[in-house]
Amino acid sequence: MTSHAVTHPLVTLAGLTATLLAAPAMADKVTIEVLQAFPGHAHFHEAVAREFMAQNPDIEVKFRIGNGSYDETHQVMLRAAMTNRMPDVYHSGYHLLPEVVTHLAEKGKVISLDAYIAAEAPDFVSSNYAPSLFSQWQVDGTTWGIGFNASTPIFFVNGDLVSKAGGDPNALPDTWDGIIDLAGRISALEGDADGMAFDIHSWPDDWLWRALIIEQGAKIMAEDGRTVAFGDDHGVKALTLAKRMVDEGGMALRDFEQSRQQFAAGQIGFIMASPNSNRSFADLVGDKFELRTTTYPVSNKETGRIPTGGNAMMITAQDKAKQDAAWAYIKFASGPKGQEIAVLGSGYKPTNIAALAPDLLGKFYAENPNFNTTNLQIDRAAAWEGYPGTNGVEIWRAQRKIIGEVMTGAQSVEAGLAAMVETTNRLIAK
Amino acid sequence: MSDLSLSHPPLRRGSHGALRSGRAAWGLALPSTLLLVGLMLVPVALIILMSFTDYSFGDSSFSWVGLENYQALVEDDVFWNALGNTLRYVAIVVPGAVGLGLLQAVLVHNLRHGRRLYQLLLFLPVTSTLVAMATVWKYLLHGNIGPVNLLLEAIGLSKLEFFGSPDLVLWALAIIGIWGLAGFNMVIFTAGLTSIPQDLYEAASVDGIEHPLDRFIRITLPMLAPTMVFVVITSSITAFKIFDTVAVLTKGGPQGASDVLLYTTYLEGFQYLRMAPAAAMTVIFLMIILGLALVQNLLLDRKAGKA
Repeated sequence: MTSHAVTHPLVTLAGLTATLLAAPAMADKVTIEVLQAFPGHAHFHEAVAREFMAQNPDIEVKFRIGNGSYDETHQVMLRAAMTNRMPDVYHSGYHLLPEVVTHLAEKGKVISLDAYIAAEAPDFVSSNYAPSLFSQWQVDGTTWGIGFNASTPIFFVNGDLVSKAGGDPNALPDTWDGIIDLAGRISALEGDADGMAFDIHSWPDDWLWRALIIEQGAKIMAEDGRTVAFGDDHGVKALTLAKRMVDEGGMALRDFEQSRQQFAAGQIGFIMASPNSNRSFADLVGDKFELRTTTYPVSNKETGRIPTGGNAMMITAQDKAKQDAAWAYIKFASGPKGQEIAVLGSGYKPTNIAALAPDLLGKFYAENPNFNTTNLQIDRAAAWEGYPGTNGVEIWRAQRKIIGEVMTGAQSVEAGLAAMVETTNRLIAK
Repeated sequence: MSDLSLSHPPLRRGSHGALRSGRAAWGLALPSTLLLVGLMLVPVALIILMSFTDYSFGDSSFSWVGLENYQALVEDDVFWNALGNTLRYVAIVVPGAVGLGLLQAVLVHNLRHGRRLYQLLLFLPVTSTLVAMATVWKYLLHGNIGPVNLLLEAIGLSKLEFFGSPDLVLWALAIIGIWGLAGFNMVIFTAGLTSIPQDLYEAASVDGIEHPLDRFIRITLPMLAPTMVFVVITSSITAFKIFDTVAVLTKGGPQGASDVLLYTTYLEGFQYLRMAPAAAMTVIFLMIILGLALVQNLLLDRKAGKA
């Protein structure tokens, strides 16, 4: 039995709200609204938009900001689609881009970019975007987004603590054993410093968990595409490594924002983070201690990979004029100039290869080695994939809880891994 | 928090000629009746209906599934964990906020100077934006560099990982909850204290009850009983409604130790978009709140009947 009695008032109310909230559009000026996830990133998004508007006076860019994580902003986006409060451009986390397409493409609420790309110069893609990144913005050969930010996880390092513990900030270890050993010595120093922070147990998305699997050269999904492959020895190794960071590396299980505060206060040796923290850590730390960064220490130096985090810009505008304006903004923001502004304002890796030219970012990277670290591991960068279906957000919440229990010792590695596999497979199938 | 049930004096029709007919009375009551029906009764009825369906946010149709959502909840560990956490939180916050509120009221009430100032200061947390203050608390209670832990260390105790340890996170949230609630309770208790006739204390002095603690236990506390019932019930309801600090500070972590009923409901309905199970949880939540309100009515009516 079906009925519209329940949905009707809701839909009407939502429509009414949308009408009331929609600003009256000016006749000759197109306004596009952009939704991005992070309040802390507003400043460089706005800087890019300012430059864009200076070049395109007939387009106005406005921002709507999510609540600080890709996963929650993804749900904000889905709700917006249901209540017809869509933004015109949406910055989706790479891992959730396929879910956005699954949810919205059929209803025409997100549009493919293929027609716009076809209208550009023939070498538009090849002269701007690296193939390994570009393929992440596609689903089954159709392009749905263009990357705005990209990053691979790196360690931020307190050089002073490393020196005190007998290490050399100029020759940091590049293996897990080396880092855990040095971190252990840092936490054994007099004072309250923690050796390291790898806050996988409280991370807002599954980026670091995927890193722990694919850095071994292993895969997340089995051949069937419906079940996970990490129920084997690779999963055991990943969880064991996470537990060793606590047991031997002097890591305290802490909320990840609190870890960042503590690192900036000079009380953590190594902290795993996105290179987008480069700008904010540099500002927060100042001269308090010697701030260094170092690459992700993959276990399998041959086939080990690390997931590329970041977000791609998708067109969710409904009318043609706004779609055209959205494409113009996407082209600029992911272009050499837009990327230069975004990278300098954050520390992200540029998504545009032309932005690496000496007169744009080339010189900057040569002078700022901390910012360049993410570029050193570009050969290992792999896609940050999502799970099939539409339960990726819930899957990570369930996995994260179990990982935390393993790290505190409340569950054994084997029992925790079995629970993770069972829960993940069940939620994929749900 | 302050949704007290006000009892209206009965309308006396015709006696003064002011109300000529029931129609005028209904006309006057109509706006609030409409609001009550439109904003409270209809949404609650929709939620109850929705809890018997399989409706997901955004669906254009649904079907009836009877008690399936409730059966699924009974078997759902996440739900029981959330309910247990909420009850544990209430069990810490209610005695804390009631006790602290009473202590503040009694101490301030007997002051000769500065009573107003203290009342104002102690009431401030109630007026502050809890979400903004919560971020301050998060820093204060930081496991390593937080001032509270530095204080603990200075007096020779070990540091506590308030937001990192599953055993402590509810206590950390409870501290914030008590801090936000005690000032309100203080005001209610102060009102209760003011209404205790002074001659009772004088009579007690004549009978030789001089020690302040004796006076408190034998006079103040019994006379405050109706106020106490009210404060305990409203504090319980407020504590049950914990959501904002969890949503801002812990998001249910670490390891689900601060997943509470309303936050789980929010995740289910607005994050995972499964409205029907969320509606079922809301119904259970409403029944708990309704139960508390009924207990309050029963107890207060009995007191009123005795008096």
